[in-house]
Formats: sequence, C-alpha cells, structure tokens
Amino acid sequence: MTSPSADQLSLKDEIVDLEKRLQDAKARFKPSDAGPTKSTVTADAALHALLLLSDSALPLGSFAFSSGLESYLAHHKPSPPSASQLPNFHTFLRLSLSTLASTALPYVLTTYRHPEEIERLDNDFDASTPCTVARRASIAQGRALLAVWDRSFKTQYNDAAADANRHDTNGSMGSNVAVKALAGFSSALRTSEYINVHLAPLWGLVTKVLSIPLHESAYIFLFSHARAVVSAAVRASVMGPYQAQAVLASSELQNRIRGLVDQAWHKTVEDAGQSVPVMDLWVGRHEKLYSRIFNS
Amino acid sequence: MSFVSPFGASTSKPGHGSIIIDILPPDQPVLRTLSYQYPLKLVAPDPLPPPSQGSTEPNNNTTPRLVHTIFLLTYGGGIVAGDAINLDITLATNTRLILLTQGSTKIFKTPSPDLISKQHMTVHLQRDAALVYLPDPVQPFAQTAFSQSQIYHLENEQGNLCVCDWVTSGRSARGENWDLYAYKSRNEVWTTDDATGKKRLLLRDNLILDKDGRTDMRLSARMDGYAVFGTLILRGPVFSSLSSFFIEEFEALPRIGGRNWGDVAQPQLSLREQRRAQRLAREKDDRLIWSAANVRGFVLVKFASREVEGSRNWLRDMIREEASVLEAFGERALLCLK
Repeated sequence: MTSPSADQLSLKDEIVDLEKRLQDAKARFKPSDAGPTKSTVTADAALHALLLLSDSALPLGSFAFSSGLESYLAHHKPSPPSASQLPNFHTFLRLSLSTLASTALPYVLTTYRHPEEIERLDNDFDASTPCTVARRASIAQGRALLAVWDRSFKTQYNDAAADANRHDTNGSMGSNVAVKALAGFSSALRTSEYINVHLAPLWGLVTKVLSIPLHESAYIFLFSHARAVVSAAVRASVMGPYQAQAVLASSELQNRIRGLVDQAWHKTVEDAGQSVPVMDLWVGRHEKLYSRIFNS
Repeated sequence: MSFVSPFGASTSKPGHGSIIIDILPPDQPVLRTLSYQYPLKLVAPDPLPPPSQGSTEPNNNTTPRLVHTIFLLTYGGGIVAGDAINLDITLATNTRLILLTQGSTKIFKTPSPDLISKQHMTVHLQRDAALVYLPDPVQPFAQTAFSQSQIYHLENEQGNLCVCDWVTSGRSARGENWDLYAYKSRNEVWTTDDATGKKRLLLRDNLILDKDGRTDMRLSARMDGYAVFGTLILRGPVFSSLSSFFIEEFEALPRIGGRNWGDVAQPQLSLREQRRAQRLAREKDDRLIWSAANVRGFVLVKFASREVEGSRNWLRDMIREEASVLEAFGERALLCLK
C-alpha cells in the first residue's frame, strides 16, 4: 500500500502550495481593498445623480413630442401601406441623433464648461432654433427640468454645496459657480423677457451642479433623446416594446452616441448648426398633419 | 533715394469689397462708396425710384426716393478653390438696396478638402434701412469645400430684411448629387442696443453639410431626394405684409394625410383661393415642401424641392402674388428668380 500514501503526500504538497499562493494573492490584493475611499464616495454621488437624471420620465414632457418622427412618417408613406415602417424609423433615428448632436450638444458642453454664461447661451440657442415646433418642445422640457431642480433637487444639492464649501475649499469651486448661475438663472426667469429655458443649455448646467462627469452628461443627453424617439415609435405603432429595448441596447446605438459625443467635444456653439436641413421641414410641418398623436 | 507715391496708399485687399449707401441731405440716397478687388466685382446700375412713388397714396417722408441695385459678380462666374471674398455693406438710415447675382454662384473643385473657399458678407443696417437680397442659389460642384457667412447688424432691432440663402445639389445634368466635401452657410442677425451698446444675437441659421454626424449615409441620402434647400429671412415693417402672406399661406396649406371625402360642397373660390389651388398643384408637381414660422420678430421660411426651378418659380410666384416688394423695390428685386 505504498501508492496511496504517495498520492496523499503529493496532495498534501499541493494543498500547502495552494495555500501559499492564496495567501500571496490575498497579500497582493490587500492595498486596493482598504474599504470605500473618498474618491468612491464622490463616484457614488455622481452615479446617484446619473441615475436620477436617467429616469425614463426625464426629460419631463418628452413623451408629448415625437421630435419630428410622426411628421417624418407622414412624409414617407410606405408602399404598399401595409409594409413595415421599421427601415424608415431607423433612418429617422440616425438623422435625428445627428441633428441633435450638431445643433444642441455643443450647448450642453459649453454650458457645462462655462455655467456663468447660461443666459447668453440660452438666448443664442433660442436664436438658432428656426422652427416653432422644435422650439416649443425644447422650452417645455427645459422648463420642466428647471421645475424638477427647483422643487426636488435644489434643497439637497444647495446644502451639499454649502457643506462642501465649509469643509473643503478646493474641488467643489466649479460646481459652486454652477449652483450660483442656476439660482440666478432661475430667479431671472421671472423678470427678464429674454430668457426661454431651453433644454440643452440647462441640461449642461444642471449636470454640472450635480457633478456628473461631462462625458456622461453628454452621453445621457443623446441617449435620452434616442429613448424619447424610440418610445414615440412604440406609441406610433412602428415597433413593439421588446424591439424598442433591442434598439436601445444595440451596440450600433452605443457606438453612434459615443462617436457623436467625440465629434462634438471641441465644437463651439458658434459652429453648432443644422446638418440635416430637411429635418427643419419635417419638424416644422408637423403642425400641418391631419391627425396627430403628439404635440406640435 | 526712395520714391514716395503721390497717391494715397491703396486700401483694397484681394477679394475685398465695400458698399456704402448714404443720404445726401435732405433725402437723396447716394452710393457713396463702391470698391472691389479681384476676384470680386460689383456692378451698380443707375438707381431707380420705387414704383410706389408714382401711386396716388400720399408720399410720406419714410419712402426713400431711390432704390439702389448692385450685382455681386465674380470673375469666371464662380469661386475657385482658395478664393476668399469679403464684402462690407453699410446702409444709412432710410436707404434701400437690392443685391443681386448673375447666375448661380458656382463653387469649383478643390484639390484638397482642407482648402476651403470662403465668402463673407457683413451688412450694417441703420434705422429704417431695407435690404432685398434674393440671389441665385449657390451651386457647389462635386469635390468642393465652401464656407460662407452673411452677418446682418441692426440697431435697436430696427431694420428691414428680405434675404434668401439657398443651395443646390451641384450639376445635376452631370449626375452630381450632393457630392461635395463640405458646405457651410451661416446667416446671423445681431442687434446693438443704443443705450447699453450691448450686442445680442437675434437669429442664427447655420447649415453644415460635411462628413460628421455618424449617419453612415451619403449626403445625398441625408437630403432625402431634394436637390435644393433654402431659407428666406424676413423682418421689419417694410416686409411685414410679405411676412404675414407667407404665414397665412402656410396656415392655409391642406392637412397632410387629410382626405377629400367628396361630401363637402365646393364653395365659390375667391381669386386668392384659385391662385392658391393652382400653386398647390404646382407644389405637388415640383415635389416642393415648405414651412413658415414666426420666431423672435422674424418670419423664417424654409423650402426644398426636387429641382432648382421648382423652388425658383415658387419663391418668385409667392413674392409676385403678394406684390408689396415689387411696389417698394421694383421688378429688379426679382431678377435672379426669373
């Protein structure tokens, strides 16, 4: 019976060896496992704010608008009428995202970087929105976001900013400027005739106040738009809800949004402009539809 | 020994031009400055009195006695890669100017997409001045890179504008269909507040056609089959009648997707309704779509059609039917739309 004991011995060796390796590994793992650090607390705060803003109810009121989808479909009747509208929808989603990234995204980025300029940016965005239907949609959603800020987020984030101001003088300076700019903007709304509250500049400002990283802010801005268009498509019976989720989950959409954020990253608001001229016509002519399920 | 020229130093720079229309007291509009340098050329025929002056209505002081006309031309009939044109225009209080082109502004092929031709125009309008700028369309050929801007400065939001900016898909006869590298056109209207001196943007209409946008579609597909896109910008009391005409006609467009069930008795059509019905039939034939919007004191009209002529005829017919521009500026205003 020598062979079993030899087996046992080799097993014992193996156990010792494994235990040693386990300890080594544990020792190497220790330094990075020192509990939640300050940086992960701020990361959690940003994640929390991100989740707040990625609520499917936001942008508030987006469910009332189709961003031109309804009008686009009316201008592109499939033949025969029973044919699927899906290919049309996919084209529209691309064009709509492209338009949003070229016209509105530079305003999100610039307001985030220069919160004190919110009033000028709001005016310039208004001046750059040539069609009343798009203007109404943008203002309705912007004002809704401002109301959410005033009624729901303000107390929490004003206190947090004041706290941060007491305890730690550097680091939160940027978002302090933003808090002030937002408070000023919100109160100026009641006195100035020039303030409109468009969604894009306000989005940049609010995400700055909530300390959401800029890239994420821009990404959700585009993603929320895609979700609003897809949701409009479901209600316009272009696709079913599972298909809708598949569109949102697709890597195609991910790549597109990431690419659009990259392209707009260094664009100034002066260079924002319409990249799909026919979009203005579709959106503007939404008013002329015989039957509508969305606001115009 | 150095030679000192007895003449003043030339201030002209290549491609630069300047137009100043002033008032010779008491009320005579004059072309005070007209200068230009190759490749830009400006031609100013004699100014004409506005047709409305001869009419029976009392000639109040606000109607200027003369309307100036200037043709913007380029040598060779187009813009060659690398050209840069800069034009400054100043219109004194209560003057009127018609700006015209002679044929479409052709943009010629560039050896490299980075070599961008530019055309920049700045117009200062003093109080009650009026500009009509209804040019031929810009026609960027295949493989071109072009950027233009038209910047209008108003005082205290005053001033009258009737300006059109339109672009075509290229030489469609040669099969070109938005085959350009890049095309940008910017229209901006700024106002300066007299009291505070502050500048404020009233309108920005910026069209950018380039490879950006992540659409994975060719430009021609992005344009949805249209060969011409245009924007007409209207502002001010001189054009208020034309502005409301566009808005009313837009309101009167038949509903998209509406049906004629044949159970509504056709009423006797008024003259305007008959003309509208004829125009709508033409719009349908030309596959022309348009919209009009009242924003920030402007009326903005956007239009697109399958062929250049469709848009040209439509714009001319709309302005001609409403007639107030012809009365105030004369037939020359529509020369480019013939």
